[in-house]
Amino acid sequence: MSEARIEISNLVVRYGEVVAVDGVSLTVGQGEHVTLLGPSGCGKTTTLRAIAGLEEPSGGMIRIAGATVYSAAERRNVPAEKRGVSMVFQSYAVWPHMSVFDNVAYGLRVRNLPRDKVAAEVERALDLVQMRDFATRSAALLSGGQQQRVALARAIAFSPTVLLFDEPLSNLDAKLRAEMRVELRALQRRLGVTSVYVTHDQEEALAISDRVVVMNVGGIEQIGTPEDIYNRPKTRFVADFVGSANLIAGRVRSEASAGGLIGFDAEGGVALEALAVHPPTGNEDRVAVRTAYIEITAGSNGGGDANKISGSIRQRLFHGDFVQYIVDSPVGQLTVRRPPTESFDEGAAVTLSFAPEHCVLLEG
Amino acid sequence: MTDIARNRPLPAHAVESRWLPSSQGIVTAAILIFCGGLVAYPLVYLVAESLNVSGEDAFPPAEIGFGNYTDLVDDWHVLANTAFVACLATVMAIVIGFLAAWTLTRTKLPGRPQLERLMELPYYMTPLVGALAWSILAAPRTGFVNQLWHGIGGGGDLVNVYSPFGIAWVMALFEGTVAFVMISAAMKSMDPALEESARVMGAGKWRTMLTVTLPLVMPGVLGATVFVFAEMLGSFAAAFVLGLPARYVVITTAIWQAVQSFPPDYPRASALGIALFAVMFATLSFYRLIIRRGNFATITGKAFRPRTMAMGRLAWVLFAACVAYIVVAVVLPIATLLLTSTQRFATVILSQSEFTLANYQAAFGFGAVRQALTNSLLLGVGVATVGVAVMTVLVWIIYRSRAPGHGLVEYVVMFPQAVPRMVFGLALLWAWLNIPIPIYGTLWLLALAYFTVLLPLGVRTLAGVVLQIDKSLEECARVCGASWFYQLRTVTMPLLRPGIVAAWLLVFIASVRELGVSIFLVGPNAKVIAPSIVSAWLSSSSELSAALALIQTVAIFIAVIVLFRATRRYSREQA
Repeated sequence: MSEARIEISNLVVRYGEVVAVDGVSLTVGQGEHVTLLGPSGCGKTTTLRAIAGLEEPSGGMIRIAGATVYSAAERRNVPAEKRGVSMVFQSYAVWPHMSVFDNVAYGLRVRNLPRDKVAAEVERALDLVQMRDFATRSAALLSGGQQQRVALARAIAFSPTVLLFDEPLSNLDAKLRAEMRVELRALQRRLGVTSVYVTHDQEEALAISDRVVVMNVGGIEQIGTPEDIYNRPKTRFVADFVGSANLIAGRVRSEASAGGLIGFDAEGGVALEALAVHPPTGNEDRVAVRTAYIEITAGSNGGGDANKISGSIRQRLFHGDFVQYIVDSPVGQLTVRRPPTESFDEGAAVTLSFAPEHCVLLEG
Repeated sequence: MTDIARNRPLPAHAVESRWLPSSQGIVTAAILIFCGGLVAYPLVYLVAESLNVSGEDAFPPAEIGFGNYTDLVDDWHVLANTAFVACLATVMAIVIGFLAAWTLTRTKLPGRPQLERLMELPYYMTPLVGALAWSILAAPRTGFVNQLWHGIGGGGDLVNVYSPFGIAWVMALFEGTVAFVMISAAMKSMDPALEESARVMGAGKWRTMLTVTLPLVMPGVLGATVFVFAEMLGSFAAAFVLGLPARYVVITTAIWQAVQSFPPDYPRASALGIALFAVMFATLSFYRLIIRRGNFATITGKAFRPRTMAMGRLAWVLFAACVAYIVVAVVLPIATLLLTSTQRFATVILSQSEFTLANYQAAFGFGAVRQALTNSLLLGVGVATVGVAVMTVLVWIIYRSRAPGHGLVEYVVMFPQAVPRMVFGLALLWAWLNIPIPIYGTLWLLALAYFTVLLPLGVRTLAGVVLQIDKSLEECARVCGASWFYQLRTVTMPLLRPGIVAAWLLVFIASVRELGVSIFLVGPNAKVIAPSIVSAWLSSSSELSAALALIQTVAIFIAVIVLFRATRRYSREQA
């Protein structure tokens, strides 16, 4: 993160009475790939469209590459076409009345580049998405995946300062989506272009981003690297929405130690050791444990040791890539995912255990 | 990687700001003022004149009062006639429209797509031409049907089209087509899954129709009924051609008589016009209310392919009914006009007839008539070309722009829909007589008038296409760096092309057939075809008017064929 390419501070977007984006602040560094992740209606797409200049904010400031493109205080709102950003739309928005070449050349022609330069840049962009052979094809005759590639080539052809993606993969089928995810990540690395990506698919967000911004009801819940978000969720919403986690209710027992570990009295009289990323304020009443981070051993010999809970398996669901167990325990029902190499029967008495750093104290 | 965006900076950021008027804002304001003026300005004059009780025609009136409106009580029979004929015609049009729509969307019939197209033709025939043809066909004594009836020894008249039923019949045939179009649209937009689930639950064919299909289509039928009723109220041609010989007067013909009388009674005509406008406005507001309030589970805006039912032997009965409709509304009228226009004296007894091309020679030879033909075509092309260009920008502003006032633009643009043509023509006549700008009696005034009254038609046609265009196609152009005008030129316009072609042809057709407004605005140097047909008819030359009517019909049908081809290619591309 050498220099900030996009700076957003206190962005507010209203649709009449509804506040779609409520005070979002965010910085994206040069060459960084940041993903806005959240459920539908959380304001992620609105934020992206405000960056592009397609949505008019009612408060805050947006700077792109050092230039203020929107500022409520300065009463400035640079129109979309003068922001030098580029965007891949959810519906691809490939113009059906043009050929593939004309689609990709659009941004270059708008900028009045000489003909040979246009041809060279279009070729380069089509090469990057492996669509060179389709240049003369009418865009109306492309499949969904091909349209996706053309939209991508069009977006990168004029070498924009910033690339925006609005759920670009959501219209593809699962298999193609997984493929495109890999390609997108590779392409983004190769071009080193600053990009902001919007998705509601947490798996996608974790897989392709440098940093993830989790949003909910118009605001930011947490910003961090994918590992950060997954391993150390800050709020109940993040723990719930990203990955799958068990929430255990209880009370903080002791001050944080040097390593940030605290004692936590869980319901059912179980004593846990948990990680507090920030010093606890006293309002915290829950810890989160990822379903994948809990180990199961046969027999109920746990009693007494920290982060060992005895229980019995209520339900076993075989998913193929993993097996999911619902375990009755003194702290309530816990969900545990184990590799299919292990197997426990329904009704078996077991001991659950997890490392203190995987048991994360959530903000109150 | 080369950084083009940075090497070629776009114009400075600071210049552009939303607090400065944008190009869209300026265009929106200009359109509001221009169109608002076109519509409102004449109506102000009309209202003023309707309140003029001074006995002298001047603006503003020397004395103001409601005398002209209270005098309308004396015209109660005119009002009663209007209501009676409009109701009768509406009922006929809806019954025909419903049966035809149901037959053509829901049953398996041979040649269904072709029949559907043919069903629309009577609308393009125009009520004036239809009324002329039916007058020649079924007038008492001289009508072809009655001639034949006498020929085979019948006494009295078999049919008499110079009657309220005759007027309603012709109005239903030639103006009721819109009922068919609206009801079939409602039927086509119903998700077949709604019916299929009733069938799956065990309901039979008829039970499904009664419990699912009909309730779902009813709001559409009701909407069509109200809309058609409003149209019938403002209808002029049929009542003019068929009503006046029988001294059966409705509001529109009463207005015409008041203006044609000597001296012209403008205050009475204005009061009648405003009264008609008020009723029509109320009716159309009611229509909008139904459309908005109606629980249109069926009207999703999405077109479905309705499931068709095999009707067995009944299919042939329905098929025959559709063919019969096309015969009485298209084939018979055109055959009548063809026969009449090629004879010296119109008769159906061929042994007595003298065939001649004199009527066509007269049509193309008479300076005045030839002038009317050229003027009509000139106006059609001009209004369609300039009008559709303006309408395209209008439509874009109404449905895409966020400039302030874009909602108001829609209201202003759709307003002429609620003003009966006759009344608007009268208002324009009165307004431009009182203005020192010398465009009264010129083609310019006609062009302005056509543009105004055809705004709703063109805008609605274009809107249908604009709404189908995914918004992000345009947004993407902006993000790629295109200005608004560049985006309109390279993305919006090309995508709209099929809609623009359709709108152009529809506006052209509507201009060429226009009667209600034109009849008040033509002058010695500005004649157009439809009023010329009327004057030929008034000078009791049915042969010459038949020739003119046929010429107009041919011109319109050529445009219709082009239109059908264009839209068919478009729907094929969409598929």
